[in-house]
Amino acid sequence: MAPTVLIVDDALFMRMMIRDILSKDGFEVVGEAENGVEAVERFKEVKPDLVTMDIVMPEMDGIEAVKQIMKFDPNARILMCSAMGQQPLVVEALEAGAKDFIIKPFQPSKVIEAVEKALKD
Amino acid sequence: MQESRGLSPLQLDALREVGNIGSGNAAVALSTMVDKKVLLSVPRASLVPLVKVSDLVGGAETPVVGVYLHISGDASGSMLLLLADSSAAELAHLMVADPEEELTTVEQSALQETGSILAGSYLNALSQMTGILLRPSVPGFAMDMAGAIIDFILVEISQSEDYVLVIETEFDISQHKIRGHLILFPDLGSLDIILGRLGVSG
Repeated sequence: MAPTVLIVDDALFMRMMIRDILSKDGFEVVGEAENGVEAVERFKEVKPDLVTMDIVMPEMDGIEAVKQIMKFDPNARILMCSAMGQQPLVVEALEAGAKDFIIKPFQPSKVIEAVEKALKD
Repeated sequence: MQESRGLSPLQLDALREVGNIGSGNAAVALSTMVDKKVLLSVPRASLVPLVKVSDLVGGAETPVVGVYLHISGDASGSMLLLLADSSAAELAHLMVADPEEELTTVEQSALQETGSILAGSYLNALSQMTGILLRPSVPGFAMDMAGAIIDFILVEISQSEDYVLVIETEFDISQHKIRGHLILFPDLGSLDIILGRLGVSG
């Protein structure tokens, strides 16, 4: 069975791009969310194998969403996808429970590599 | 008040270097996004009277697309990506294959995300250089005259000031006639922190 993914990003364009990259490589995108609040709700509904998570979003940012998802499911696998590559934020996201962090913009191959690695952990 | 805030040539030079490193990183990001060569101008750093800021980008009447965001964290300010209408359309077409002439929702989202990623890369470099955390807000998007967009941003940051510190770089994807401006407006209140971290406090 194809691994299932929930894509979280406030930009429609970026959700389309990530969906495209993952679908082409055989992943099943089971949901999308455009802010942290929606991400937590969707996660509980669809229980995906992996979440790609943006950081800067309205309503609730991605790091807070990671914390809430990890509280609900300590085994959740979350991959941060953000343009904000500043060290303190990367550390904060990883401490909150994210598996890895990729910095936008990214090459499709990097996304696949990071997704596969996060799923193996 | 302005005189007391006079920046030394060394300080202005350090701020230009902020522009250089920030926009350099942003240009790499843009180049990755569109898979084209991106050229940069030499950055400008200066205290500019509020009424003159839009002159830097071709005049207040120029129709533009603007993506702007606020910065909070250890230092505050604003960041603006400005593209002339024709450049915005070209850039959108490079990212989203769409025959429509009007900007579609997806193309607007692509431009907004471009602003967000360019600002993110710029601030990543600046953060690495100074060791301070700079958090961008969710980006705003506007299609208007340059003057209207700049006024909107300056109202929030300038308050009682008549001058604003502008660190500006022009970029260029020449084979596609795309030109734009990336502008950082550090809040004057945050200037001491930034200059201190750059080792050139007054």
